[in-house]
Amino acid sequence: MYKTKIRGVLVEGNKSYKDITRDIVAPIEQGAPMWWYPAMAISLLALIYGIWAGYVTITEGIGTWGLNNSMGWGWDIINFVWWIGIGHAGTAFSIFLLILRQKWRTSINRAAEAMTVAAVLCAGIFPMIHMGRIWMAFYIMPYPTSRLLWVNFNSPLFWDVVAISTYLMASATFWYVGMIPDFATIRDKTVSKLKKTIYGILSFGWVGSARGWLRYEALAMILGGLTAPLVISVHSIVSMDFATSVMPGWHTTIFPPYFVVGAIFSGFGMVLTLMIIIRKFYNYQSYVTDGHINAIARILVFISLIMGTAYTTEIFIAWYSGNEYEFFTFFKNRITGDYMVGFYGMVICNAIIPQLFWFSKIRKNIALVFIISLFINLGMWFERYVIIVTSLSKDFLPANWSEYTPTVVEIGIYVGTLGLFSMSVLLFFKYIPMIAISEVKGILKTTSEERS
Amino acid sequence: MSKEIKYNNNIFGVFNNEEVLITAIKSIKNSGVKIKNVFTPYPIHEVFHELGLKTRFPYFAFVFGVLGTVLTFGFLFWTSVIDFPITIGGKPNLSMSFVIIMFVMTINIGIVLSLGAFFTIQKLFPGKNPVIVHPDITDDKYVIVIEKKNEMTKEEVAGINDLLRKNGAIETGMKKNVESI
Repeated sequence: MYKTKIRGVLVEGNKSYKDITRDIVAPIEQGAPMWWYPAMAISLLALIYGIWAGYVTITEGIGTWGLNNSMGWGWDIINFVWWIGIGHAGTAFSIFLLILRQKWRTSINRAAEAMTVAAVLCAGIFPMIHMGRIWMAFYIMPYPTSRLLWVNFNSPLFWDVVAISTYLMASATFWYVGMIPDFATIRDKTVSKLKKTIYGILSFGWVGSARGWLRYEALAMILGGLTAPLVISVHSIVSMDFATSVMPGWHTTIFPPYFVVGAIFSGFGMVLTLMIIIRKFYNYQSYVTDGHINAIARILVFISLIMGTAYTTEIFIAWYSGNEYEFFTFFKNRITGDYMVGFYGMVICNAIIPQLFWFSKIRKNIALVFIISLFINLGMWFERYVIIVTSLSKDFLPANWSEYTPTVVEIGIYVGTLGLFSMSVLLFFKYIPMIAISEVKGILKTTSEERS
Repeated sequence: MSKEIKYNNNIFGVFNNEEVLITAIKSIKNSGVKIKNVFTPYPIHEVFHELGLKTRFPYFAFVFGVLGTVLTFGFLFWTSVIDFPITIGGKPNLSMSFVIIMFVMTINIGIVLSLGAFFTIQKLFPGKNPVIVHPDITDDKYVIVIEKKNEMTKEEVAGINDLLRKNGAIETGMKKNVESI
């Protein structure tokens, strides 16, 4: 059995290749477990609420939201950035670890990539619906309109469109290519004729020839190598939506790295949440071992420290720069003032609570790890809330100041995307192998490196 | 006659161990028999090495990326400088900020073309009905395929079967139309 020097055995329980196939194909071959149906029902309810909210927004307009003259961005952009952040996990996880040849990624990458695609889909809804006249959304595409104008290629908002659609395409491609050999396995193993046909089509006729594998691995590295810089660029570009403006609290050079780190942080948090659910409900403890959870938790401690440093740097610069507007935003509107709850929520959830992962006892307590991962997701939501709402609600002119509270419609759109996300994840549980079968087999090998 | 060229017949041997497979490939190669294809449930680098397989795919990907950069720059230059130049905030039409879109689109075009190249070269497409040599090749069995040429005598075929078995094949047989890619 393959054993890495620092992480020990990656697949526990003395599994044979046949066991791996059987374990991972089983949830697809058998019907969904009992809890799946109520979970799906709840997701659908949330989605219906979201569809209603979307309908109201489109037919009546943005006026149904809590936005006003000063608050041009609210929950829509908060949730957009939040989902995009979560959508960084798959790629950050899967691709960075692939390029670094970290073999422990194999049990987790599939779920992380699936999550990425679902989260980016959810994120994409917000800027579209934020346009107000959604039927004009195609104007964002670079083609000459009736006025023969092109789009502004120097605008961060246009960069966003290009970056996010490329990211969605790239991560979906990477995910799908990874699944091709596993679909072939299901095609060859399933007893149902319908499944044989469907997975046969999905597998593109893959048979696993030596040349096929050679090119497949080359393709995986190429896709990984090309998409890795995208992880950095997408959230940098999202941060430029803010940083290229002149709003106090936004107009800072720290934003691109700060956003990228935050995105990877929230993504890893969501991966942790999801992997704990998968391993619990599908009994995948042999594949997603305590070692895997431990490794993610340790990465989170490190990123949490970077987050804390970023928060401290922002606050220090707000004071040190001597800019009174910056000082006001940070010291009178975040640390003290109307939006204290959001600010302290952000600091506690992102920079302080994850520090508990320093203790190996806490890292080994899966229930606690799960709760902390939820805090990270919440904290990252608070971060976007703090950035957007505090800066916009009180800008340069006190006469412009205004409060912001979301309406039922805005909340509805958010709840709807949560429903869409959980629905996608549930469908993923039911129809797609949750762990990359061929990749796990690849690390189980007996012929090379260390044997135990 | 044309049918005989179209349909190829093959001898295959099934192995249930990676190490046995690799030694079998070595000894079959040494005995002068040409291996047509090997099927494994996961990538095995020793197999690539023993079969002497190499891929130029990364070079192609580089070319695709360069193509993406050039095409994107061409498009941006044409739209913003030639077709409809607009001065925004007094900034030059040919702007440094093109770099961002060029960067992203290089990746975009590189990925699309690499993916297309992979499926084309590997002849994979949705709905393809491949010849599956053994139902367990995507599970836990390894298969070596050797082409049975028309001029082969019965003795030669039996010899290849023996060779496979001697090297640890748990099962041998004949299969038509196995692809060589």
